[in-house]
Amino acid sequence: MPLLLLLIPSLLLLISVFALPLFRYGWLSFHADSVMTGLMAIPNQGANWQRFIHDGRYWQDLLQTLRFAFVSVTAEIVLGLIIALILNQPLRKRALIRSSSLIPWALPTTVMALGWRWIFNTPYGPIDRLMQSALGRSLNALGEPSIAWITTVYADIWKTTPFVALILLAGLQTIPSDLYEAAKLEGASSWICLRRITIPLLLPYLGLALVFRLAQAFGVFDLVQVMTGGGPASSTESIALYAYWNALRFLDFGYSATIMIGSFVILSSLILIAWLVITLVRNRAAGAYAK
Amino acid sequence: MARDHVGAKSGCRSLRKMKAARFVIIALLIWSLGPLAWQLYTSFCTDQALVTPFASLDQRWTLAHYESVLNSNPSFIHYLFNSFFAGSVSTVFTLILAIPASYSLSKLGQRSALLIKCLLIGCALFPYVLLFLALLEIARYLQLGNSLIALAIPYAALSQPLAVLLLTNAFSDLPPELEDAARVEGLSVLQRFRWVLLPLISPAIASTAILVFLFSWNEYPIALTWISDSDQLTLPVAMARIAGSSIHSVPYGPYAAATVIGSIPLIILVMVFQKAIVSGLTTGAVKG
Repeated sequence: MPLLLLLIPSLLLLISVFALPLFRYGWLSFHADSVMTGLMAIPNQGANWQRFIHDGRYWQDLLQTLRFAFVSVTAEIVLGLIIALILNQPLRKRALIRSSSLIPWALPTTVMALGWRWIFNTPYGPIDRLMQSALGRSLNALGEPSIAWITTVYADIWKTTPFVALILLAGLQTIPSDLYEAAKLEGASSWICLRRITIPLLLPYLGLALVFRLAQAFGVFDLVQVMTGGGPASSTESIALYAYWNALRFLDFGYSATIMIGSFVILSSLILIAWLVITLVRNRAAGAYAK
Repeated sequence: MARDHVGAKSGCRSLRKMKAARFVIIALLIWSLGPLAWQLYTSFCTDQALVTPFASLDQRWTLAHYESVLNSNPSFIHYLFNSFFAGSVSTVFTLILAIPASYSLSKLGQRSALLIKCLLIGCALFPYVLLFLALLEIARYLQLGNSLIALAIPYAALSQPLAVLLLTNAFSDLPPELEDAARVEGLSVLQRFRWVLLPLISPAIASTAILVFLFSWNEYPIALTWISDSDQLTLPVAMARIAGSSIHSVPYGPYAAATVIGSIPLIILVMVFQKAIVSGLTTGAVKG
């Protein structure tokens, strides 16, 4: 039993930081707690939830967050896989590659978010100057609602792709090379090798990268808060940013808590679904591989 | 080794592959470091040179941005120290909780260990930004705001999943005979920890420590809401404040200088510890 005692402090801390807030949100979401009520919590019979369901801005933000997450994570995994496949051979400059891939990932998001604001600045940033001389018109990468979200996706891809590539490269290096030699002897093409050996054996890595990256991207906050402030015209606003505005700008804690707990339920079910799908695919692939 | 041998057999193809790899490495370098290089360039340009880069100017290069960043009140270096301090305290606190927890987790029966691991993975997947409001309330209630040491509490909690999973893994990899032998020799639990177990899992501790440190150094939403005193800001928040001063015009020159100064410690850290970072991340990915 003393063994279990060693676990308790760690678990207590986890519960108080992860679980307590959820109960608090659940409770707050049934109360009005804003400047109007003098920051006192007054029960309001589910009015927050009524508002939540009919809040067009929230659902718009949810769609934008999902769009951001799916597009950036897909791009990161595809690009990362391609890079890892090409780099998967004895390389001399391994330390250099590692460091240069880790640096974008290790820098604080806010640091480069402002850097990107300068690089995509209209009209003085280098990208806009290039566009002006190439297309003859300004791109307005951060001012045009239909383009600004792609710019934020780009910044996210910049930060994470080398990192994903690094993880996948480590995965590739666990695949024994005699598998490929045997397949080559049987006359398998490179494409077959990729499909029948590499991808199935890499699935645990791919699945993990996918689920963890999706979970992170759903909570995107730092990047959009600093890079665009959610604009232009709320086109890059994420749900976390909307909840933040509600709490600290509109000082409406009751509604902010409703957004948090509502988003928590929606996002965790999405992550759970992604997890189940991946386990299913992995098991099927493992089955096919065993045959 | 085996792969080298195969490469020698199909020489022509492997040469082409080598070339492709070299191309990818260079592209990767430009992709990762290019934007940083641009910040470096910006930080030395006068405001005039930034607005009209092609005009002939009396003065193109300047150190004024660095001066303004370093002489501001509080100096930018101060934020580096704040982040360093918060990062170190959080790392130590995380390890103090995680090492005993993972030791006990590695000894638990399979079913209960699996249950706790699932709980940890669930926490790791939690979009933690959603916690900031309640954490802010807790901080206000317990008067933990504006304290860099207090930041270690949420940071240690957010780091627990990664730390416990990595360290449990390291403990489970040790042969159980080792500890049994030490017990037979009459070493107490603490002695076994100090002289047998800790030295053996020190690589995993190093990986964990560096990852937790990086996380705490970079964390934004909680630091943003917990700390308002400009003396106590951590680096990411101080950076964002420069942007927040005005939506439309950001002082890009001083900001670029701040980026450069703020990046140097991290770049050194990454170069020195890249092996530990990658091994921590990949074991985390495989066994998690």
